[in-house]
Amino acid sequence: MITVTINGKLVRAKEGEMLLAVLRREKIDIPALCHHEAVEPYGACRLCMVEITRKEWDGWKNMVTSCLYPVADGLIIQTHTTDLIELRKTILDLYLARCPNTPEIQDLAAQYGVNQTSYEQVADPNDCILCGLCTRICDRMGFSAISAVNRGHGREIAPPLKNAPPDCVGCLACALNCPTNYIKFKDIGYTREIWGRKFELLRDAKTGQPTITKEFAEYLSKHRNIPQDYFELNDESHRKETALNLGKIAIWSREVPQ
Amino acid sequence: MKSRFIVTPILCTGCRTCELACSFTHAKDGKVGRSRIYPLAGGFKDLYVPVVCLQCEDPACVKSCLVDAIHFNENTGAYEINPEICVRCMACVAACPFGCSLFDPQQNLVIKCDLCGGDPACAHFCPTKALTYKPIAV
Repeated sequence: MITVTINGKLVRAKEGEMLLAVLRREKIDIPALCHHEAVEPYGACRLCMVEITRKEWDGWKNMVTSCLYPVADGLIIQTHTTDLIELRKTILDLYLARCPNTPEIQDLAAQYGVNQTSYEQVADPNDCILCGLCTRICDRMGFSAISAVNRGHGREIAPPLKNAPPDCVGCLACALNCPTNYIKFKDIGYTREIWGRKFELLRDAKTGQPTITKEFAEYLSKHRNIPQDYFELNDESHRKETALNLGKIAIWSREVPQ
Repeated sequence: MKSRFIVTPILCTGCRTCELACSFTHAKDGKVGRSRIYPLAGGFKDLYVPVVCLQCEDPACVKSCLVDAIHFNENTGAYEINPEICVRCMACVAACPFGCSLFDPQQNLVIKCDLCGGDPACAHFCPTKALTYKPIAV
């Protein structure tokens, strides 16, 4: 256990833990868009910047992304100084120039008092902030179906050669965890469309409710040893089946003399 | 000695008190949670079975999780989903053969029974003792 000072308060932390984890545990409101516990920290969105200093630094300060900075004994951390608020305002101002119509960015910017970007808006804005969370989650799950392509102004998230991605299984992890809901998908009946590829959804054998995609179920049974017939029913039908089976056992055990 | 749920369907009246207890115990930010326990018809007259996660050994939910979000809690013997790690891919929901890993659309979380940290509320509230939680020799 080590001790750090956050906004003048002494706080205990574990060695090697990232600063953002400590701040979140202390319920300090630090905005972070590209952070997810499932993947390694990346430091793309820059909103979780905090000010650190030490006693022996003679008043020198440093601004670091708290998601990437491991805590160390004796750190003195400030999270809401004037400089930091100004910095976050500038970053959000830049985000607004890139994504002027994104509700998540607009809300966050409004919290910091930025309602209109002071920069020139990009010509054809979209909702992507290029934080790379989708590609990191896709890599972590072992598919690596999408990645960031091109550099500079042309940088975007896309499947290989912008064709239907062959490695995608349609699990929706990228779309559901996107901080700005940029990644669009369509579930119509028993088909799911994402990244320009169409998937067939498995259906529950009893009620006909769609479940996960056929490709995802095949991946799970091949690589994770889940029997294929587990995917024939959805969770509700599985529960009903369990109740019927346990009911049979209960009646049977009552009839059999103890 | 490990504690386990002991389900005695013959005693269950289907009153759904366990469901209420579960929902209110897992309420968060002013929203009740979806129940992790379901008293369902057992296929015979007046027979109900509370279907709840029985914390299997080598469970399908843990095997199916591609981001290792489900961990075994040594103290309680429960497999718990860490909501911060979960990416909501629904692999565990589809994989559990008992249907005890489910999705809560209101809280936007994948949930399963976590034994309430070693003292399950549903077992406390069961009026007929159809559902009990006590140490048994395994």
